[in-house]
Amino acid sequence: MQMKRRVAVTGLGIISPCGNNISDFSANIMTGKSGVRRISSEYSNLLSVKIAGEVNFNPLDYLPKRQASTLDRVNQFALAAASQARKDAELSLGTKEKERAGVYIGSGMGGANTIESEYDQLFRHNAYRIKPLTVLMVMNNASASHISIEYGLSGPCLTVSTACASSTNAIGEAFRQIRDGYVDVMLAGGTEAFLTYGSFRSWESLRVLAAEDPDDPSRSCKPFSKNRTGLVLGEGAAVVVLEEIGRATRRGAPIYAELLGYGSTSDADHIARPSLEGQARSMSEALKDAGVMPKNIDYINAHGTATQWNDLLETQAIKKVFGEHAYKVPVSSTKSMHGHTMGAAGAIEFVVSLLTIKHQALPPTINLDQPDPECDLDYVPNVGRKGVKVNTVMSNSFAFGGTNAVLIARKLEI
Amino acid sequence: MLEAYSYAPNNGDPLVCEEEVNMSTLERLRTLFIDKFDFNVHELKPTATLEYLGLDSLDKIEFMFDIESEFHITIPDQEFKVVTIQDMVDAVDRFVSEQRIGPSSPAMISNN
Repeated sequence: MQMKRRVAVTGLGIISPCGNNISDFSANIMTGKSGVRRISSEYSNLLSVKIAGEVNFNPLDYLPKRQASTLDRVNQFALAAASQARKDAELSLGTKEKERAGVYIGSGMGGANTIESEYDQLFRHNAYRIKPLTVLMVMNNASASHISIEYGLSGPCLTVSTACASSTNAIGEAFRQIRDGYVDVMLAGGTEAFLTYGSFRSWESLRVLAAEDPDDPSRSCKPFSKNRTGLVLGEGAAVVVLEEIGRATRRGAPIYAELLGYGSTSDADHIARPSLEGQARSMSEALKDAGVMPKNIDYINAHGTATQWNDLLETQAIKKVFGEHAYKVPVSSTKSMHGHTMGAAGAIEFVVSLLTIKHQALPPTINLDQPDPECDLDYVPNVGRKGVKVNTVMSNSFAFGGTNAVLIARKLEI
Repeated sequence: MLEAYSYAPNNGDPLVCEEEVNMSTLERLRTLFIDKFDFNVHELKPTATLEYLGLDSLDKIEFMFDIESEFHITIPDQEFKVVTIQDMVDAVDRFVSEQRIGPSSPAMISNN
């Protein structure tokens, strides 16, 4: 039987509430610094929940003015993260190589800011026309296409939209494209910029948003804590460079880890309620795909939204898959710091998982002050850990719609 | 927005008036160009073609939107066939004069 091709991660890029480059992001996440705060928008006084993980971002730091004005914020994030990742990987491709390089990007909401601002012109201000590029800024696949155009990557270019699991699916599917030999290089990740008045209102109505912490707004997201009240919306993007391992090693590329396995399942049950069974199966599938035993997982980046149901069921699903080892493997939810960035969440958290390997350190779950007897794993409460052995990591994403996606990466052993 | 035209009826020399109107349209277009595309003013000669300036079809559509806002005009579909900046000036002046009503309209002046 022919050996499966292997896939390395050779570059990372990030735009997030906890930093707009990998080193700031890493420093903040590992030391438990929250990027959640009161939002600055003019409509905030109309909202019952006024907190989010907002990105502090000036598009002109990354893009010429002319290009920036034709892009929604979500596309700007994606291009900025992709440019960092490409630079980090020291990636340069010849014409033929570009035909065997592609882009898979996850996004739940696409150009939400543009749709809101332009429809607002129509509905509230009776405008008779709206921005000519509205269609091209709003479409969900714009971010992936802009990355493909920017770098001339002419292999497959897809957009994955599976809500909170979008970018985990995007990275997993991109991984398979390389492993199965269709391409050699992929830029994969996710992007989301949906902090609009309409979004906040929609999420508010769904009654899943965290109440603001009365003492400190930045401490409002409390995954796995008994006093958790829900999720905090966030925005951002993360892109990774995936590369066939032989190619990466031949050119002496920096290698963060080998992407080893991917599992994806659907609950096929309920549009919003998470399922223990579906989550557990996705973890088992990823382990099987990676050829890794549960006892070999050194860290799990949890989906950990801080809703009552997610955190309880994810804990139970981890126990179901990991058995006794569930109590030994550190599990943290970095959403406690960057919020729930939806279509970008999986990619951002995959980056976190890779950084645990790079730094041999673990980020904490912050705001975990009141242990929940039903959530009784090692969530790395409040304080990160240094000098730990991290070889193999798992990153979980469980979405509305019932899609579950899990990635497993391992420190490279050649 | 229309102050450039408001003094026109009081100006004794229609030729000078027309030139001033043109100058001001050109200048306003240049400002729009610079705001949107980061051009240097020296690149924006009346004879410069949009192609030379690197504007593609989408850029043109976007720019038409900005022109409509700046000059308070509506540019009907298919009626903005311009090659150079001067063509654009002429077209804008034409739409302004066709679409403006009131005593200061250049159209009214020429009828006088």
